[in-house]
Amino acid sequence: MSQNAKFSQILASSVHDLKNSLQTVRSLIRTLALEQANSEKPEFQILDFETARMNSCVMQLLILYRLDASHFKPLLEECRVLDMLEEVGYQQSLQIQLRQISLAVECSDDLFCFCDDTLINTVLVSVVNNALRYCRQAIRLSGRQQGDYVCLCIEDDGPGFSYGIMAGTQGVKSGELGKGNTGLGLHFASTIAELHSQGQRNGFITLDNDSTLGGARFSLFLP
Amino acid sequence: MDLFDVSLDTFSSPFKLHQMKQSLKSKKVLIVEDQATMRKAIREMIYGFDMKLITEAANGSSAIAAMRKDSFDIVLCDYNLGSGKNGQQILEEARFRKLLPFYAVFIMVTAEQTQSMVLGAMDNKPDEYMTKPFNAEQLLNRIKRNISRKEYLGDIEKALDSGNISLAIAHCDKKLLENNRLMHTHLLKLRAQLAIKIGDFKNAKAIYQAVLEQSELNWATLGLGIIAYLQDDFSEAEAIFRKLIDDYPMMLEAFDWLAKTHEAQGDFAGAQNTLNEATALSPQAILRQQKLATMANMNGELSIAEKAYKTAIDLGKNSVHHSSGDFAGLAKIYSKTDAKSALKTLKDMRSLYFGNPEAELRAALLETEVFHQLADEESSVQAYQTAQKLSLELGNKAPTDLRLEMIKTSYLKGDDKAANKQLEQLIKNHADDDHFMEDVRKVLNETGNAQQGEKLIARIKKELVDINNKGVDLFKQGNITEATQVFQRAATTMPENKTIMINMVKILLHDLKTNEVNKEKIQRIQTFINKASQFGVKKEKIEHLQAQLNNLSHKINSTASQ
Repeated sequence: MSQNAKFSQILASSVHDLKNSLQTVRSLIRTLALEQANSEKPEFQILDFETARMNSCVMQLLILYRLDASHFKPLLEECRVLDMLEEVGYQQSLQIQLRQISLAVECSDDLFCFCDDTLINTVLVSVVNNALRYCRQAIRLSGRQQGDYVCLCIEDDGPGFSYGIMAGTQGVKSGELGKGNTGLGLHFASTIAELHSQGQRNGFITLDNDSTLGGARFSLFLP
Repeated sequence: MDLFDVSLDTFSSPFKLHQMKQSLKSKKVLIVEDQATMRKAIREMIYGFDMKLITEAANGSSAIAAMRKDSFDIVLCDYNLGSGKNGQQILEEARFRKLLPFYAVFIMVTAEQTQSMVLGAMDNKPDEYMTKPFNAEQLLNRIKRNISRKEYLGDIEKALDSGNISLAIAHCDKKLLENNRLMHTHLLKLRAQLAIKIGDFKNAKAIYQAVLEQSELNWATLGLGIIAYLQDDFSEAEAIFRKLIDDYPMMLEAFDWLAKTHEAQGDFAGAQNTLNEATALSPQAILRQQKLATMANMNGELSIAEKAYKTAIDLGKNSVHHSSGDFAGLAKIYSKTDAKSALKTLKDMRSLYFGNPEAELRAALLETEVFHQLADEESSVQAYQTAQKLSLELGNKAPTDLRLEMIKTSYLKGDDKAANKQLEQLIKNHADDDHFMEDVRKVLNETGNAQQGEKLIARIKKELVDINNKGVDLFKQGNITEATQVFQRAATTMPENKTIMINMVKILLHDLKTNEVNKEKIQRIQTFINKASQFGVKKEKIEHLQAQLNNLSHKINSTASQ
């Protein structure tokens, strides 16, 4: 085994180990919070948010590793888009409520798409996590049919994406390290989008600042 | 408000409780969770949904006890329950013992998303998986979604629950016409499965192909593979299952079907390898471990068999599928190399299966062999006598492999008279089961009775063919009464013969179609179908016959009521 392959294997098993530890930490926090009368303390909320971010990040890394290490197809199912968007909203309901953010879901209830629900959920959660960090008070999740594609949008009213991110030129510069902006989320999103194919058509993502809310707009197109 | 239980009254985001609260009010909920704090948290969430009929269980046995006492609408079950049964074992037992009503929603709570993939037990899937941590909104949303699905499919599930497949199909077809977009694909999946059940492969195939034209849904591809398997097109089936495993490396169902396909092709080494890979991915499924153990044992791969038997015994402690056969299999492996461990295993088996004649018989047969190898002839003969007594008591209630084992031991003990008598009975009843006859020939070879055995087999087979031909001829001549009598007599002397049973049912069904119908006739056919099912006629065949009967009796009922 090459040095490189060996390293990536060690990396992967460490990430997996990390995920298990994180799971334990999260369940301990939860138990502690439930046992405490003052569980609404902001510290617990922050712990929840930050460990959820870590969890989402580790999940993405693991899925990317699995994709890299072996060939596998997304497990396609017919899903109702409204259900998927609402689920993301429900998952974030605590943070939304605490920070008094208004999160709107707009989607017709008869829009359906074929996708791997679990993978797409991981993408959406990570993008919404990001939106939660940058928005001022509003996030909008929407879904619509656009030509041959189903388009899922996440918009916010924050400062918007930087030019570098939108152009896809902004990698991880040394100066960016430690600022919580690794480029992982977007890389993950575009990888998963592309994995979804229907005949000749593949999924893709677009980033722009044309949000009706005035901030960033992330769009995921599924064939 | 506490951290994980969002208090719903003050919740002001767009995610509001829908009007479903009313219909949820009457639902009975069972929460199975070992950790008290977690249990309390879930209970409070459910209380918040206005559901007050809540039962709690901290472990598997109390969960099963609760389900015996009460019929639940919703079971929320944690997978990891510490020692004792896990969630999957609870689900298996509940389904096996029919403790869950057809309208019940079973939600399995797992610690991580990937876990749900590896849990894949052979046939038992929960209605829904939920990953921890979850909050009240998520839980309510899942409960609502599943309840409305079950309500929508209620007619179909109810018909299935009572074994009436043709009625289930009728309901399914009616619902498909409603064009409910949310349920349509699900209904198609169900409809194809029902078509397979009654042997209507043409329709099932058409459904799967139409679905696949829309999108590559793996259950549709799997369905096509299953149809190929059932139509004996094993090379096509194998290609499909292999492709599925390649595309979806965690799809355990594809492994199980591939193993079956290998087995049907006589490739037992291939079947063993496939099962071995599947158990490595998911070691918790006892049925798969048992299958692997038997297969490896047959292939002489004793270390793999030993490991699988041990795992199955261990899993059996908490599983409804535990079997004395696993102990016997392990003891048999030991008997060749390690008499002490063999006797110890048998002792464990006896204490666990005390008073179970089948287990006692297995133990006595193995002891006969082990003591013989230890040169303790006195104990060996004593064990043999016990075995013989138990064998007579059990009669044809003992499984065929065990009866063959008894015959082998009789030959080895020089008790040819007893062996021959038993053998004749066994062959008469199973002459049309090729796999089993192979096992019979193996025993005859090993005990030096090949020549004499072949003669016996030929004679019995001829008798059988004669009877069958006679009955079929009479039937073709339209002499249904006499044809029935011929098969009736045959069924009395060969009560376990599957060909006779099936032909009997077919003739009676024809009679029902063409002649006068009455409740007694229907009852009689039902009895034969039940017996055929009990004696291991293939599930697909049974369901096909059952569907015909249901159809006919349905017609009678509707004409009677007109």
